[in-house]
Amino acid sequence: MNSKTKTLIAAGTVLTLALFGAALAMLVYYTPTEKSMGQIQKVFYIHLPVAINTFLACLVSFIASVGYLWTRRMSWDDLAASSAKVAVVLCSIVLLTGMIWGKAAWGQWWTWSPRLTFSLMLWLLYVVYLIIRNSIDSAPRRALISAVYSVIAFLDVPLVYLSARLMQDIHPQSIELEPAMKLTLLVWFIPVTLANAGMITLRYMLARAQAETAGQSPTDQQQPAIEPGSAQWHALLNGNGSTSDREVNK
Amino acid sequence: MRTTLSQILLLVGKDLRIEARSRQTLGLVITLGLLIVVVLGLGLGAEAAKGYSAMAVLWVAYLFSGVLCFEKTMAVERHEGAMAGLLLAPVDRGVIYLSKLIANLLMMLAVALVVTPAGVLFFSFDLSAAPLSFALIMGLGMLGVAAVGTLFAAVVSSTRLAGGLLAMVVFPVVLPVVIASTQLMLGIFRDGKELGGTGLAVLIAFDVIFVTVSWLVFEWILEP
Repeated sequence: MNSKTKTLIAAGTVLTLALFGAALAMLVYYTPTEKSMGQIQKVFYIHLPVAINTFLACLVSFIASVGYLWTRRMSWDDLAASSAKVAVVLCSIVLLTGMIWGKAAWGQWWTWSPRLTFSLMLWLLYVVYLIIRNSIDSAPRRALISAVYSVIAFLDVPLVYLSARLMQDIHPQSIELEPAMKLTLLVWFIPVTLANAGMITLRYMLARAQAETAGQSPTDQQQPAIEPGSAQWHALLNGNGSTSDREVNK
Repeated sequence: MRTTLSQILLLVGKDLRIEARSRQTLGLVITLGLLIVVVLGLGLGAEAAKGYSAMAVLWVAYLFSGVLCFEKTMAVERHEGAMAGLLLAPVDRGVIYLSKLIANLLMMLAVALVVTPAGVLFFSFDLSAAPLSFALIMGLGMLGVAAVGTLFAAVVSSTRLAGGLLAMVVFPVVLPVVIASTQLMLGIFRDGKELGGTGLAVLIAFDVIFVTVSWLVFEWILEP
């Protein structure tokens, strides 16, 4: 990593944090308090931008998975994994803030209403994606299987949404907002989206750096020589090495 | 077309013959399904184990026994390099997928034939209003579950993943099937509605999408 990239990362992080601070200050001092729910309602300004960014992260993961299946470049796989990790984090925040809101609005932490069910199912789909990744040792095999799973999971999302809509709904469809509330909501989109993009980028860069230090070129074309007697050599002899996987998959 | 059909028949026949001779899977999965019904019936107690809760119980039983079926029909190919032979045979990989899917579906139907009456009886769930709709909804649901399960069984069997992972991969993906079929049946048996609407559309769309996608990606996933 050269010094220019480092400066960019530092600047991006400082900018995102500063915007978060500003948005928080706006939430506390500027945004009017809602009449019936009081301060708790303010969690909504975080909830909605994070929810929309969850879908964006899932979309990036899907596009990257299709990119991997198309080109078989490991960089696509790293992008898919990075955005899926961020999607799980964001979806957890959506669930938690939603539950806090629900406890205040409906008096219950959880109800089986469509959008809650949908978020929970989305979270489960992408948590399983991360578990699949952890369960496969060979890198090309892991990339292939998780790309296939990711495509299936993303195709499942509209069906999950449609089926969840069959259930009885108590979630607000659209909320009438004061202009000051609308402004707060719009302001909150900026740091949340920046944080989303920043986290995906950082995770992606980390994964690329790890792949390069592991002796794998960015395009995954060079194969490191195998030393006789090394762990890889034994793995190959036992018939479960990554090299054979790679040839089968090509 | 005719060769494809005869290839599918041959491959399905092979899987069913193996099952008929070894009798490894069906007895096991049917008993598992029955045990699930009994455990949930006891766990829910006499008060709650009635009526519509039968649908949840049946789905739990179908899903777990289904996953076991998918695992077993793929595990057969792991013995003595059978998978290598299958891959060497002049058969399209999509045909292998379709035949595995049909074999798995037949096994699931066999399980359902025993487990459904048990669940319906134990939970006194009255099917007489629309037995055909019930069969259609469950059949469509099982096709979707088998479509996804057959694909992921091939994935899991060709990696050194821990057992039990298949259930974890299949369950979140097939949740729309569970919701759609449950809501459809509540509509039919509780509210007296006709079969149709978004629920049926979701079931059919799920089947069409995942049979097609799995059929397309199956060849990337298989390896000896």
